[in-house]
Formats: sequence, C-alpha cells, structure tokens
Amino acid sequence: MATTHGAARLDLLDPFEVSRLGGIEVVTEGLVEGFLAGLHRSPRRGFSVEFAEHRMYQPGDELRYVDWKLLGRKDRLYVKQFEEETNLRAMIVLDASRSMDWTGAPESRLTKFEYARRLSAALALVLLRQRDATGLVAFDDTVRLTLPPRVSRAHWMRLAVALGSLQPGHMTAAAPALRGVVERLRRRGLVVFISDLLLDRAPALHALKFLRHRGHSVLVLHVLDPGELELDGPAEVRFEDPETSAAVVLRPRDWAEVYRKTVREAIADWRLALRREGIRYHAIRTDLPFGRALREALVRPGGIA
Amino acid sequence: MIGFLSPLWLWALPLATLPIILHLVARRQPPTVPFPAVRYLEQVTRDHRRRLKLQHWLLLVVRTLLMLALLLAAAGPTVARDGLSGHAPAAMVLVLDNSPSSGAVTDGTPMLDRLRQAADAVLEKATAEDAVWLVTADGLARRASVGVLRTAIDSLAPSEIRLDLGVALAQARDILANDARVPEVVVLSDLQQSALSGATVGVPILVGLPDVTPPANVGVAILDPGPQPWSLGDNRVRVRLVGDSGRTSPMAVRLGNRADRPQLGTVGPIIEATLPAGTPGWWPLTAELDPDEFRADDRRSTLVRVLPLAMAQWDPSDAYLAAAAVTLRDGGRLREGSDVTLGWLGPGASVVEPPEDLAELGSLNRALERRGVPWRFGGPVVRDQMSDSGMLLPAVGVGRRLQLSYVGGAARGVEVTVGGEPWIVRAGEVVLLGSRLEPAWTGLPTSAAFVPFVDALANRLVRGEQALLTGTPGAPVQLPDGVDQITRDGRLWRVEGGAAWRPPATGIYLLLSGTDTLGALAVNLDPRESELATASRSQIEALWPGVRLAPLARIGEASFAAGARGHLRGPLLWLALLLGLAEMLLASFQRRAS
Repeated sequence: MATTHGAARLDLLDPFEVSRLGGIEVVTEGLVEGFLAGLHRSPRRGFSVEFAEHRMYQPGDELRYVDWKLLGRKDRLYVKQFEEETNLRAMIVLDASRSMDWTGAPESRLTKFEYARRLSAALALVLLRQRDATGLVAFDDTVRLTLPPRVSRAHWMRLAVALGSLQPGHMTAAAPALRGVVERLRRRGLVVFISDLLLDRAPALHALKFLRHRGHSVLVLHVLDPGELELDGPAEVRFEDPETSAAVVLRPRDWAEVYRKTVREAIADWRLALRREGIRYHAIRTDLPFGRALREALVRPGGIA
Repeated sequence: MIGFLSPLWLWALPLATLPIILHLVARRQPPTVPFPAVRYLEQVTRDHRRRLKLQHWLLLVVRTLLMLALLLAAAGPTVARDGLSGHAPAAMVLVLDNSPSSGAVTDGTPMLDRLRQAADAVLEKATAEDAVWLVTADGLARRASVGVLRTAIDSLAPSEIRLDLGVALAQARDILANDARVPEVVVLSDLQQSALSGATVGVPILVGLPDVTPPANVGVAILDPGPQPWSLGDNRVRVRLVGDSGRTSPMAVRLGNRADRPQLGTVGPIIEATLPAGTPGWWPLTAELDPDEFRADDRRSTLVRVLPLAMAQWDPSDAYLAAAAVTLRDGGRLREGSDVTLGWLGPGASVVEPPEDLAELGSLNRALERRGVPWRFGGPVVRDQMSDSGMLLPAVGVGRRLQLSYVGGAARGVEVTVGGEPWIVRAGEVVLLGSRLEPAWTGLPTSAAFVPFVDALANRLVRGEQALLTGTPGAPVQLPDGVDQITRDGRLWRVEGGAAWRPPATGIYLLLSGTDTLGALAVNLDPRESELATASRSQIEALWPGVRLAPLARIGEASFAAGARGHLRGPLLWLALLLGLAEMLLASFQRRAS
C-alpha cells in the first residue's frame, strides 16, 4: 500500500484531485495516514474471547495472553488479540442509489457516490486502524452488498475491493438496509449512514430511530453536492429525477431563492429530527477536502466517534 | 349606448391578444437536466407554484387589459350620461342642407321648413359657451351667435347649389380640428342617397332622419340641342327625364317662344323633339314639365345658335360631292353661292379634298400656309381601315388617304381619325379631308351618311361651331380660351379664358371676348337633385361609421349629446396607467419573490 507522507497530505486535498490518484485503496490509505497523523490513538484497547490475530509481545502485556504454542514453534513471544479487544463494532451503511451518481460539476467534482465511496473506505480504514470491527452495507432499493464487521487488516482490503466494484443502482430504500444492520450488530456499536438523504424520510428516520433504540450510536453523513444546494441553469429547464423520472419544469432564476431556502430547511429538519433522537448528523459537501470532512464528522472531544 | 369617436381603432382590438400570443409563442420544450433533488423542487413548486402561476396569469391578464385599455382609449368611446341637464362647452358644426331638393314639398310643407325647425331645436340647446358654425349648401361656414344664426337660418331659401354631405362633413372636421371644446356635427338634410358620400370625421356625428317620405318626382335631367350651330329649318332636341322610375309627365320643349307639340315624357329613355328654327341668332331652348312637388327641376334651359343656310360652290366634275351638294340644294339645305367652297381651297370657308394630281400637293400646302392653316397634307397611305365613329360620321371604310400633319405643337381640330391618325381636321373655317370623296379612296361617298355629312360640313363645320357649355351652380366650368367676360341678365363677371369658373346660379350665361360672343354657358340644376329617395339607416351608417341617428323631430333632444356623453378616453387612460403600474409591481414582485 502506498502512503503519502509528502508535503501534500491527501486528506487535505480537494476530492477531485484525490480521485486522480487512482485505486481506492491507495487513495484511502493515504487519506487515513494523513488523518491519523493528526490524532492521538485511542487508548481503549481490550481483549476478546474471539481470537482476532497475534502481535509481538510488549513489556506490560499480561502473560495470560501470551501464545505459548507459538513460542514453542517460533521461539518468539506473541500475544493473542481477540475481537473483544476492538473498541466497537461499526457498520457503514452506504447509499448506492441512482441519485448518488450525480455531480453538479463533472469536470471538477466527484459524484456524490464516488465521494461517499472514498469517504466510506477512509472511514473504514480509520476504524480498523484503531481496532474497531467494521462492516459495510450498500443499498439502493435493495441491499446490494453486505460485509459483516471484522477487525482484521485483510478485511479492509475486502471492503476496499467491494467498494471499488460497487456501482450506483436504482431507487432508494434505506429502511431495509438499516434494519438489516440490527441483525449484523448484535451488540451495541456504531452505525454510519452515508447518503444524500434523497429518500423517503419517514421510513428512513424510523429505521434510524430503531437503531438508536437498540443502543447503537448512529452517525448520519449527509452527502451534498454544491449543485444541489443552489438552483442554476438556463432560462427554463426541465429538471428530471434520475431515480423516479419525475420532472419539474421551471425557470431556475424564478425559483433559486426559494429553492435555496427549502434545501436549507430540509437539512435543518434532518439535523433537528436526528438530534432529537440522539443521532449525530453531518452535512458534507462534495467539494470539501476529505480531511475536513472526516474531522468534522468523526472527531469529537475525547476521541473518534 | 357606447359610441366611438375614432371607431377605426376598434379594428386594432385583436392586438390586445398580443401578450397571450407572445406567451404561447414563447412556450417551448425546455432542455432536460438530470437533477436528483427534484423532490425539493416538487416541494418548492407545490408550495409556490399556485401562487406563481396566479401571478403569471395575473400578469398576462393585466398586460392584455393594458393593451385593451389603450386601444379602446384610442377609439375614443363615449357613453350616454342619462339624467344630465345641460352639456359641456361644445364646438358644433350644424350642416343644414338647403340644396335644391330641400325645396321639395311633402304634406304641404317644404323640406327646408322642417330642417329649419330642427335647426331651431338644436340651437335652442346651445349656450353662450358653445361655438356653433352653420354650413349650408353654398359651402360657407358661418360662426356667429345663436341669435344671428337663427336669423340666417330663417332667411335661408333652397339653394341651387348641390351639397355633398361627405364634403360638408370633411369641412366640419377641419373646422373642429383646432377647437378644444367637445366636438359634434349635426347634419340636417333630406338625406338624398345621391348627396351622401363617405367621410371619416373623427368626431361624433348626429344625423336627423326625416320623418316624411319624399314626394314622387320627375325632373328634366338632360336637354341636348346637339351640334351647334343649328341651321334654319327643323332641328332635333334630345331630352331625358329623371326621377321615380316609370313615372310620366307632360313635357313641352320650346325654342324661344316656339314650342314643339306637347308630349308625355317618361322617366328613363331619351325623348326626341323636333323644333323649327326660323331666324338666325341665339335662341333660348327650354324643356319644361308640368309642376310637381319639387319645382326646381321641372324646367331646364339652354341656348342654341341658329345660322342661315350655307351658300356653297362645288366642282361638278367632283361627281360624288357634286351629287350630294345638288341633293342638299334641292332639299333646301344648301344654296348656291360663294360663301363655302366644297372640294378645294377657296377664298372663304372651304372643305378641301386632296388633289387628284398629287403633284399639286406642294402648292396646296403652301396655300394652306398662306391662309394660316396649321395642317398640311403628307404622303399617301394605302391600307384598308375604318374611321372612328362620332357625331360627324359613323364608321366608314377608308382604303386610301393622305397623311395630315399638324405644324407646330400639339394637334388641335381633329374631327375624325382613321387608325388613330387624323383624317378630317378643321382649322378655323377650313376643313381638310384626308381622302378624296370617291369610292377609290373611301366608302363614304357611297354610304347613307354621305349627304348628312356634306350637310354638316357645309352648314356647321366650316362656318365654325359656337361653344355651348353646360354646368351646375357652384360647380367649376372650364372656360374656352379667349373668354374674358361672362354676362347674364345685365350682370358681368370678368374672367380668364381657359380657367375654371363657378356659376352662382342657374341660367344662361353668354361667354364674351370683348364685344364678340364666343359661346354660351347653360347652367341648370344638378340632375342628381331630382332623385329624392332618402338614404337608409344602413347606408348612412356604412358611409359614416359611428354616426348617431335621431328623428328630425327629436334632433334637439339628441343634440349636444357628445358633451353630455361621458368620454371614456380619460378614464381608460387612467386605467391603462394603473394597469401599467400594476404590471410593474407584479413583475418586480415576481422578480423579488423568485
């Protein structure tokens, strides 16, 4: 894996610049390296009954976790690490619907889906680096992809490959995907819902509340293209929803202000509704460098998530 | 009822739909743009579309109404304001048609008396702040106080001058153009169909409709004495009567005091009468009908010139011409003498044929030059052609002729042409024939028209015809060259020959050059005055768009209504202004809202 320690930190670069670097793994690795360099590692380390991997013995490690069998074979001290030692179990729920496959500036900005895909990979790597088991659910009108939470480094590769091969689908139905997460996270964990929230609000909100009710921490990352925040275009335009083919004919100039206000209100409504349920919400513009996006979304006093 | 000052603008009313048409034309399929946040747009438009759509339609309606208000204002609508006494200061032109037909009597009352009463009723409503002009058949517009105008109207008599009501309305329009008061034109007339002509006045017109049917009438329209001068003996007169179709009237035609036997004249066809002329000189000729309810057109007069028989000489070897002359002599239409030379250029009046020997043409042309005749014989033309037909001759065949050319300027005196070229010409008392009067040259000598032709040549043409003009009172007449005075019944007018002159009244006018009488001008009524049929409402409304019609007996009540009518132009312009402001507000509100 290539990492970037040069003068230009990938996590601070413009997403479109980052996209030119190629493979999602490479890019994400670089992003996270830069990101983590600015954070202190999580002090919360633990052990689980479920074996996860070995690591070199370090002075201070409890002797009961030394793998004596491995000492016999390799003549080196290793300690066992277990799933239980991960800080939490996280599930990234990624919206892969058709509406995500859109950018207001194809030549200078990633589509919301590309941005969310890279963001998901970066987020997964951050979580895995701090030993948090991380899974992935991608959905459109059905659940397209499910990777259960794992903590191994190899798991991130699986996540990256799966994300890389994921293509935007059709309609959006978040509720089944979110309810499926409940089955994957049997214990309390973190659910990161990445979507443009152009979906049926009530069932989605209900499903998110359900997650919260089950004791999970829920973080909603609302991916927004700047082109969606402002209405622009020629004198008269027929705007067509790529998902539903619903169309509205209007003159952008006439409606720009009221549209801007409506979008702002919609974001505020989401924020308020989610906060009311104890769900964290972050609106992320796709022209925002990943570093800032990750910091604003994940960092809070005392540590990540 | 709504009236319009400029109703032609109403044709532009469809322009009011221009905003709608532009709206429809501007509607087209816009480009489609994929946009995932359509749900927000739907939400936005759901909340605002109805309001915005309402604003759009409101704007469209306001713009259409604005156009409508402006166009209606241009048309100048007026509306009756019932219950109002008095009127705003008005500028009125009172057209009182005292043309000859106003003298027609119905139920014992001349039409002019009815018109006078109507005019009185109109003037009754005039106030000191009004300006009133009186236009009568003489074409003069008189502005005076009501009292003076009343006196003038009381002293009006039927004029002999025909009044064209379309012209009078145009005159009224010009009069009112510079007056700021509320304009109105009142037309008091017997509304003869023939007196109406189209006019665009642009001010309210009120027309009084006569409440009586005009009397049945027959008048003398034409009295034609034929070519002048008359010769001694019988002469024919043509008369035509005009009036109600099929009517008859006893008619008498007189020359001086000598009358043809009375006959019953019928309206329409030409009636001929034969009158003997016994004494040379100028004689009045009159056609007269029995009196009817319209007397002015029962008599028509003119003047004829009677001359004695010509004393002619001819060459017996010129077989055909000599035969005709002998026939005329034997018939009492010609006497032998030396006043008129038939066949060659003599010392006095001459009818000149081409010489048998064309070698003599040169000397003949020189002789013509010496006599001051501006015509010359030219080269021969051998071609079968027909002459034109006219008063002198019917069409006859011409196989051979000499060209006749005029020396100096535009040719004058051409009497008959062949193939468009002069064939018989006259200069003073010399007549030149393009062909010899022989069958080898022309079929004329062997035709029935030959003897009357020679009669006309000898008795009329070579001795010079007198000018006998006809005209109507007030209408211009082109005077012959050389006339410097006109006289009638001891009154003298100094005039310029060749110019137009308007005879003031009917009668016989003598055209003088110094002490010589060059001719006469017979002035009679315009024959159109004899047709008393009244124009229908639809005819009047078609000719004068926007006209108001009222019975003559109630014209007083209807007059000054323009001043008593609410002019909607002002309110409409205010409305247009308000609509314009509303449009601006709506448009800016829409822009601000968006």
